[in-house]
Parts: sequence; C-alpha cells; structure tokens
Amino acid sequence: MKNEVVLEVKNLKTHFISKKGIAKAVDGIDFVLRRGETLGIVGESGCGKSMTSLSILRLIPSPPGKIVDGEILLNGKDLVKMSNEELRKIRGNQISMIFQEPMTSLNPVIPVGEQIAEALRLHQGLSKRQAWDKSVEMIGLVGIPSPEKRAKQEPFQLSGGMRQRIMIAMALACTPEVLIADEPTTALDVTIQAQILEIMKDLQKKIGMGIIFITHDLGVVAEMCDQVGVMYAGQIVEHQNSATLFRNPLHPYTQGLIGSLPKLYENQEELQIIEGTVPSPYDYPDGCRFAERCPFAQKMCIEKQPELIQYDEDMKVRCWKYTAQWQEESSSREMVTQ
Amino acid sequence: MKTTEIEKQPILQVSGLKQHFVLKKEVIFQSKQVVKAVDGISFDLFPGETLSIVGESGCGKSTTGRSILRLDEPTEGNVLFKGQSLTKMNKRELRNIRGDIQVIFQDPYASLNPRRTIRQMLEEAMAIQKVLPPNQRESRMLELMKHVGLRPEYLERYPHEFSGGQRQRIGIARALAVNPKIIICDEAVSALDVSIQAQILNLLKKLQKDFDLTFLFISHDLSVVRHISDRVMVMYLGKIVELSDTASLFKNPLHPYTKALLSAIPVTDQTQRKERIILKGDVPSPINPPAGCRFHTRCPFATDLCQSEEPILRESQNQHFVACHYAENLSS
Repeated sequence: MKNEVVLEVKNLKTHFISKKGIAKAVDGIDFVLRRGETLGIVGESGCGKSMTSLSILRLIPSPPGKIVDGEILLNGKDLVKMSNEELRKIRGNQISMIFQEPMTSLNPVIPVGEQIAEALRLHQGLSKRQAWDKSVEMIGLVGIPSPEKRAKQEPFQLSGGMRQRIMIAMALACTPEVLIADEPTTALDVTIQAQILEIMKDLQKKIGMGIIFITHDLGVVAEMCDQVGVMYAGQIVEHQNSATLFRNPLHPYTQGLIGSLPKLYENQEELQIIEGTVPSPYDYPDGCRFAERCPFAQKMCIEKQPELIQYDEDMKVRCWKYTAQWQEESSSREMVTQ
Repeated sequence: MKTTEIEKQPILQVSGLKQHFVLKKEVIFQSKQVVKAVDGISFDLFPGETLSIVGESGCGKSTTGRSILRLDEPTEGNVLFKGQSLTKMNKRELRNIRGDIQVIFQDPYASLNPRRTIRQMLEEAMAIQKVLPPNQRESRMLELMKHVGLRPEYLERYPHEFSGGQRQRIGIARALAVNPKIIICDEAVSALDVSIQAQILNLLKKLQKDFDLTFLFISHDLSVVRHISDRVMVMYLGKIVELSDTASLFKNPLHPYTKALLSAIPVTDQTQRKERIILKGDVPSPINPPAGCRFHTRCPFATDLCQSEEPILRESQNQHFVACHYAENLSS
C-alpha cells in the first residue's frame, strides 16, 4: 500500500485580486504525495509555500484569494470542485493540518482533551465517553506525561512544546491520509524541535499518512523529508530526493540557498549570498523569475520562462541551463568569442 | 591573533549579575514569587572580539543584554565599562555611556519609529550623543548609508518602505551613527530569511573589522553563532553552563546540555550528523528553578550529587569553562 498516491496537485494556481492588481501567490504547482512519504516544500518568505498548503485545504480567504486553475486530487477526487459540506467531511478527517503557532489554533478556554474529542465525535461518530478516552490515548501517544490530567487542562497551562504536541494529537486523532505541517517547529527551541520531529516520524510509521512538510529550515528538510520541492516566486524551481538535493543542487537558487547557510562544522570567512531581492508577486518578469539574481543568467533567461523539466529520474528543475537550447547557445557564444 | 587580543584588558566586565523579577501576587497570602531570569553570572568581554550568548527561550540571554545597559535595572552585581561602573551611574552619565554601547534588536520594524524618516532617526541619534557638529552630520549620514549598503536617497524614506533585511541595515546604521565601541546584537538576524541573514552576517563581520567593534551577540541559532563568534557562552535557566572559544566548544563540548543542544540541530549534510541526544521534558520554570544543578531534571547523567550541590563554573581545560560536576568523566 505504501507507494499508492494519496494526493496529486496539478497546475495549481492561487491568485489574489486586489486594487493593486493580481498577486500570483501560487503560480502553477505540480506534485504527487504517496502514502507514508514526506514531501518537503521549502522556500523563503513570500515564495507561496504556505499559500500552497492553505489552497489544498481550500482555506484561502476568498475574496481576495481564488484558486484560478488546477486540480487537487485526493484519492482521485478533485477538492477544487467540492462543495463546502463535502470539504468539511475531509478537513480534519482525511487531511489535517498543523500550524506554526499552536496558541492561535487552539481554543484558549476549552480543555485540550475536549478539543481533540470534538473532532472524533464529529468525524468518527464516537460517543462522548469514547471520544474522551480516545483523546486521552492520543495525548499519551504524542509523549505527554500523565495524559488524563493534561487532557483536562486549558492551553495556557501547557508549554509551547506541549501545545504543539496537542496540535499533532488533534491532527492525527482521525488517522488522516494526509498531514500538512506548516512550519510546525519554527517557534520551538531546538531541543523541543528534536522531540517533536521524532514523534512525527514515529507516528508516521504507525499511521502511515503522507506528510507535506512546509518549512524554511533546510536542516529540518534534510532530516524529515523523502523528497523536496524548492519554491521561488510562486513556482517550484527544483524537485528532488532530499538525499541528493543537498549534495547536488541543480537550480542556481537552491545552490545559493544552501551556500548562504552558516555551516555548523566548517570555518568560513564569508557566507555566500544571493544578490538582490525576490520580485513582486504583482509583477513577475516574463522570463525566468530568478534571472535578475542569477549569476548564470543569459539573454534567453530574461526573454522566456523555463519549464520544469525532467533532468534525471526523480530530478526536476526549472532552469534553461539544463536544456538543449542552452548547449546550442553556449557553443554559438563560444564561436563568437573565438 | 585572537589570543593576543584576549590578553588585553577587558572592555566590559560583568560580575555576579542578577536580574530577578518579582511577580504580582495572584492570591492573597500567596508567598512572593520571584522569576530568577539571570542568577549570578560573570564574564569579561575583550575589545575587538565577538562573544556570543546562546541558549533556549527563557535562559536569560536577552535579559543579560538588557541588564548590562540597565534597560532593566539589575537586582545585583556590577558591570564595568573600561573600569567605570555602569550600575552606579546616574541617568546623565548613563546616557553618555550608551553612545559607547549600542543595541540592535531582533525586530527592526518594532525598534524603528514609523513616523520618522531614516534621516531624522540618524540625525536624532547623533544629536543626543553630540557626535559631530551639525554641519558635518550630512556627510556622515551619507557615509553610514554606504557602509551598510543602502542607497543615499533612502534617507528620505520611512521604515515601512523597506524590506526586513533593509530595515535591519537601518538599525545597524543607527547604532553605528554614534561611534559605539560595543554593539549588543539581540537576535539580530533571527527574523530574516537565510539568504538575507547571510548578507547581514557578512556586513556585521566587515563592519567589525572596519570600525574595530566589539560584539556581544545574543542568539539561539548555533550555526550563526559558530560563524560569527570568537568565544561562546551557553546559558541555561539564568546560569552560565559553559564558556569557551568557539572552535573548542563545537569540537569538544563539555557540558551535557551543550552536547544535547549541538546534537539537536538539524543539519543538511547527513555525514556530519551526530548521534542525537533527545532531552526529556521541558525547561523547568525559572520561578522555582531546581535545586543543585539546574539541568539535573533533564540530564541523562544526573546523580544524587547533582540534585543537592550546585556546580560552579570552573576552568576544566585551557580557557574552557564548564559548570558540571562530571565534565571530565563525560568527555570521551
């Protein structure tokens, strides 16, 4: 069952329409998520990674946001075409989500155990008693000591790490097929982050859900993910296995990103930097969106946008450098210089 | 090169610094509750070096920075800047000295006045510290903008017109405007994306060389700390647990907490990955910190001695200080 595709996103486009114009937050995203697999989506602020995750659950505030194109197939059924009622049965049941700041996603005046039980009663039709017992069991499962006591407490009585565990318990209570984790450990300290990542891996083995892991932290990606999509300006610019990505990044943006990380066990006098800034989502250039900041950019990069091409098995990249045209151009350039 | 510098006289000496906050009573007859945010720390800062303070939330690293400047009045202890005691100064003397010690905060947007242009902010800073006669300030401002990599025409703009990285550059320019000797960087790059973070880190390193600055760099990010510091101080629950030069701290951490902290960092290069030590539980509350060694509740090696007797910070190896009863037995 492991390699079965649970979620497939095809050409997803989420745009925000306002007085200022159209912001293309997500602009043509494709990926496939299999059972038991973790897909990382990385990128810097504003690249559209969170908007991608919100689009999957159809949580985009509308207006101004709108999914203007594409399909999101959960077991072959298109979420984009579903009614709100149908969606409600899926959210928190087949697809759940964990956010960065648990305090804003938990109800501050309801005991955490009850909040978990609510989802169980709603989606699985359990009785009050059964739901509560299951809720306590889930709290124990995410590694919180004395779960019976903790279940009766309100969120403010728990530490940040414990609240995030409660979120995970809530997200996994209905054994979803897909878990979307949007920066789940960004607000936590490293020692607590290590605990949470361990629990997520552990529960994935038990439950077998597919995880979409959204983060800006490349170290976390390397540890958690099987495959990685690197996003830049609303598009995926590179898609690889995480094992090969860090050894052999193809796209100049990914190379720059990895180069700009301070290394933990190496001495460097100066860090590599990526010049310039991200283009505005209201006004993307016609050519490659990274061309302006790219050290390799040529005329063709500025004129025409590259497609996401299959570079090798399990390796996709959106860059002219890896195309036949580039080879031709560069040999003709050499001719001119000679 | 660095060893000769360390033999110099310290520019800042902190001794026995304590910062306790008394909590408001919630119930009548409740005993007084005190948060011991910083609980007796001593260290020296040498001219031209970068000393980092690392630790997790609530360990007291930011409070340390704030108490040095007396942004919060310290409960106990002494801070000497070039031999003068900051803790005994009156307001006017303190204001003068703040020109020598500047701070850059994490969130540049919150620390810049939204209604002032960059020019007004820089001018104000220079006027308060009487850095230059007014007629020379214009050229100084243009020079500052160049140093931090901003275009001169940006002087007329307001903070909201800038990106996060640019705002942090403005914060740096403002700190530099008054010719400081020491800059306290409190999580100065934590809110920035990695590619921007790299730009700011490179800039800080360059400015340190150009202006002969001393940095007290407060951060939770160990890879950033490793990159920028000469020496590192690790804090846990208001105490220093380890203090050493950067290379030996990362190569040979002595305190079990430092070891766990280093092993918990996710790395991209899987060949560099250390065996992970997962600490149990959370950091205890600083209101009633555990007796004995404050780390004993989470330490995998804790014994009865650790529960009863507090270890002192001692020199275990050359210039490598640690507060652990068993540091020598644990390092293998």
